[in-house]
Amino acid sequence: MARVTLDHVTKRYEDVVAVNDMNLDIKDGEFVCLVGPSGCGKSTTMETIAGLTKPTEGTIHIGDTDVTRLPPKDRGVAMVFQNIALFPHMDVYENISFGLRLRNYDKEEIDRRVDEAADVVQLEGMLDREPNELSGGQQQRVAIARAIVRNPDVFLMDEPLANLDAKLRVHMRTELQRLHKELDTTIIYVTHDQAEAMTMSDRIAVLNAGELQQIDPPLVCYNEPTNRFVAGFIGSPSMNFVEGNVVENGVETDNFEVGFDPAGIPSLAVGDQVSLGIRPEDVYLVDQIEDPDAPHLTDRIDVRTDVLEPMGDEIFVYLLLEEDQETSMEDQGMAGQLLMSVTPDTEIEGDEDVDVVLDRSKIHLFDTATGEALAHGVADLTGIGSEPAAGEVESDS
Amino acid sequence: MATTTERDDDTSEGGPLESWTNGVLKDEAKRQRLYRALFWTACGFFLVTTLFPFYWLLVLALTPNNRILTGDWSLPVIGVEFPHPQGFNPVAFVEVFQVVPFHYFVFNSFVLATTTTIIVLVIATLAGYVFGRLEFPGRGALMLGILVISYFPPAAFLIPLFDAFLGNPVVVPFLGIELFSPPRLVNTPGSMIMPFSALFLPLAIFILTTFYAQIPDGLEDAARVEGTTRLGALVRVIMPLSAPGIATAAVLTFISVYNEYFFSSIMALENNPENWSPLVGGILSYQTQYTTDFNLMAAASIVGVLPVVILVIIAQERIVSGLTAGALKE
Repeated sequence: MARVTLDHVTKRYEDVVAVNDMNLDIKDGEFVCLVGPSGCGKSTTMETIAGLTKPTEGTIHIGDTDVTRLPPKDRGVAMVFQNIALFPHMDVYENISFGLRLRNYDKEEIDRRVDEAADVVQLEGMLDREPNELSGGQQQRVAIARAIVRNPDVFLMDEPLANLDAKLRVHMRTELQRLHKELDTTIIYVTHDQAEAMTMSDRIAVLNAGELQQIDPPLVCYNEPTNRFVAGFIGSPSMNFVEGNVVENGVETDNFEVGFDPAGIPSLAVGDQVSLGIRPEDVYLVDQIEDPDAPHLTDRIDVRTDVLEPMGDEIFVYLLLEEDQETSMEDQGMAGQLLMSVTPDTEIEGDEDVDVVLDRSKIHLFDTATGEALAHGVADLTGIGSEPAAGEVESDS
Repeated sequence: MATTTERDDDTSEGGPLESWTNGVLKDEAKRQRLYRALFWTACGFFLVTTLFPFYWLLVLALTPNNRILTGDWSLPVIGVEFPHPQGFNPVAFVEVFQVVPFHYFVFNSFVLATTTTIIVLVIATLAGYVFGRLEFPGRGALMLGILVISYFPPAAFLIPLFDAFLGNPVVVPFLGIELFSPPRLVNTPGSMIMPFSALFLPLAIFILTTFYAQIPDGLEDAARVEGTTRLGALVRVIMPLSAPGIATAAVLTFISVYNEYFFSSIMALENNPENWSPLVGGILSYQTQYTTDFNLMAAASIVGVLPVVILVIIAQERIVSGLTAGALKE
């Protein structure tokens, strides 16, 4: 058990910067997920912690020891790899005991520890099997047993569930959480699957293009993303973004307005370009809510439904903002389009004209140029602006 | 015109060839029979071409020397000339060791081959690891350099090496200043093992580079996190998983050195076992100025081949077991 500190860690490969000035402080016993799209530097960050790659600049501490220049074997870390990486020429027992045998433990001690580890990951009675006789989930459990058997200070997991099928992945996810509770060890977990990150971690570190975007508990990342990238990356399906201009009494987009008092946000001035972000579950069908004129909601927005994606527990509805828009497929990205999630019993069809409202308390504003978050929720900023907003609702309907 | 019509008629009626072809195409059993026949034909061809020389050697070894040149080689009934024993003289296999200390020659070759193989494997393993698993500037150029050197004719190195191994003092050209005298290596294993190692290294490096490059990076990383150094990961994980490649490189090197005569005949100044003359030197020493014991040379050849045969049989088992066990799945 130990805390892990990365201090201005930078890793350059010739002219590519894989990790840029990374500062991370991971507490003892914490479960931290590094998430980000492919090539964002999360695996490289992990490798620098493991010692498989040496950082170009910066220092890494595990506990109180500066491990920046130490080889992997002296760092007290254990790692579970995406490709599992069991040694094919050794059976399960030999795989699990590999690290212990290298450290010349007594035979009895090794046996005791291997049994214990096999017990934790429920591999009893499989110790004499060859890795290729095991299923994917069993192989992954052997890899985890190999990691825990040495009582490492820090666990590094590099997309350990990526190669498993969907059902097994969900199962292993709970197993890992149980394991974390049992062992109470620092776990650093790399994944590109934000669902894994949301469900398992104490804190999520969102990386993009080699730079740390935000490190916060999952719900903070979800509700108060520091910038547009985090907002778009965390949450599935991802947040809707609509470009707009700041006007006297709110934000004006091509198709609708959101009323609030821009003066409530110090960094905002009339005329500024902003991106308005709203999650699919914060878009409501007017027909479905009791009081569509409630003060925290926006004016009604005229839209046409496009494609429906019934998921069973909810339906994702693609909404076209533009009147004459043919189909959302022609547009690259989300311009002129909103994604809404509704309950599965909603009676809705494609190509239907409907009215929707947005929950103003869930609207995020981002600076279009820098992507920095300006405000999370604009309902409280309404002030005087609420009166004209309500008036416009009437005029629209 | 007439012939074409005839042929056309034949095919339409279904001549013997066509009906047979049709049978092979349509009938599974017939097809299998054809495949089996082709397999055994090919097999037989290779068996005859590889084993016939051994048969010939055996015939020569068993035939008393005086009848090898004078004997009647035509077969009893058919009359065609074909090697067959002209008498039965198994004592030749004992005489081989009495006339010349042949076992010493075999021992020399065995020691030279084993030592060279070990040296080559150690260096080629390290080189193969570097070339196969590490990225560094100039890797391509270095590999190319090794390839180029491996294409040099060995004879090109002979005279400078012989001069160096004689122990003549090194003199600065034109000035005549003596720098130092290198040790005199001729007639010692060093004068043979060094050139052999250098000559057979490139091939071993190429074999091991390809094998080591195929081992998934994750396995090496896993070993290093678990507690090995890079070298430890090489020995404990990469090498065991590349056993077939190592066996191939080892067998090729061993056999090449075991059969080598060009360098050793020159580096061993006289053809006797004390000067580390090898196996082939031993075989040639049954030839004197006036007599040539063909039967003993044949018997010695057979005796000399045996260790290699045993080695290949053992190594082949290793190769096969290595291939089946090392099913690498990442």
